Amino acid sequence: MSLDYVKFTPGFGKFMPKEYRDMVEHGPFGKKVSVSQVGTFKEILEEHPMCAGCAMTLFIRLAMVAFPNPEDTITVGTAGCGRLAISQAAIPFVYGNYGDQNGVASGLTRGLRLRFGDKPKDVVVMAGDGGMADIGFAQTLHSWFRKEKFTTIMLDNEVYGNTGGQESGMTNRNQVLKMAPLGKKFEKMDMLGMAKVAGCAYVATVVPNNPRRVESVIKKAVLVAREIGPSYIQAYTSCNIEYAIPTDKVLEDAKTVETDRYKFTEYITDEAKEYLSQLYGYKEYLPKPAAAVEKQ
Amino acid sequence: MYLVANIETEICAATSCKLCTQYCPEANTILYDNEAGQDKGLKYGSAYVAVDRCKGCAQCVWVCDNMAKHNAIKMEMIDQIGDTALTENVTYGEKTSSAVLANPVRGQV
Repeated sequence: MSLDYVKFTPGFGKFMPKEYRDMVEHGPFGKKVSVSQVGTFKEILEEHPMCAGCAMTLFIRLAMVAFPNPEDTITVGTAGCGRLAISQAAIPFVYGNYGDQNGVASGLTRGLRLRFGDKPKDVVVMAGDGGMADIGFAQTLHSWFRKEKFTTIMLDNEVYGNTGGQESGMTNRNQVLKMAPLGKKFEKMDMLGMAKVAGCAYVATVVPNNPRRVESVIKKAVLVAREIGPSYIQAYTSCNIEYAIPTDKVLEDAKTVETDRYKFTEYITDEAKEYLSQLYGYKEYLPKPAAAVEKQ
Repeated sequence: MYLVANIETEICAATSCKLCTQYCPEANTILYDNEAGQDKGLKYGSAYVAVDRCKGCAQCVWVCDNMAKHNAIKMEMIDQIGDTALTENVTYGEKTSSAVLANPVRGQV
């Protein structure tokens, strides 16, 4: 949880694996890196067992690059595909029991604030739609109602991809899946609406076919969660196995879905807007200069 | 044998788009060498693939063909690709990275 944590013990550096040495010497810790620089520094995410061409992996990779202070960040996850990659990064990962992730993150955030005071330590929950909207629904919503200051990211692949293709609360109506042969009979849950009602200070939907937008959304959500209140990001990360999308068409699908039903939306409270524009100078939140008044 | 992505340096170094580095779902796989085009008289650097990490999904091919419209990336068989980058031969520098190319089947240079 500090820069010292990612340094070598003196004298042991030369015995470390190459990937580890690269990470310490050329990783993003203590520097400002952006998505446009990837490929020129060592990313904190390492090799992982997720499927080839998975859009969820792409989103997780971009999120890891976008964390404002990776050396002061803890990720929390739960059962599902996502944790297979999230746990392979060079930042601490806490595994909440299925559905417990927002409860675990609540305690963790409070504990870190007691221990470290004002020094920002970011807690980011990344879990699938099943873990968040179905099994962990109560804990997710309660953490928002309690105004716990951490970021919640839903990796919405609209299916239980890890267990063979059962419908989840986030699956679209009439969607036929391997384990839902008659099609889903209910509408997709409106988690965005619920996040707003429950009092999230920042809510956004995003699709990973625009890396810079993903970066900006993650940065804003994490910064808002430091001071103002809970933030929620819902990311469309298709399951190319259960939805039978050829791997080279995953981004084409993301583009189609984005224009069709997963448009970029952003909701931010006035308090969070003011905080972001004052402390971090986010251009889109700065008040526009008044137009010059023409002299009569 | 299996397919991995291979980037044509001559086409890639003619522009500075870097889109494939941002869209690869695997971390530390498509890397970028800012000086790759210099000895060939080209203006920009080039992306290259650490083939031992490539899972062969071909998303970069779609991005290069349809978004960037450069057609610089092709999928090739790992044993027929010739010398290429491997993670063990990659060195990172100040805002760049480079690799000594080696045979992907035999490994280290």
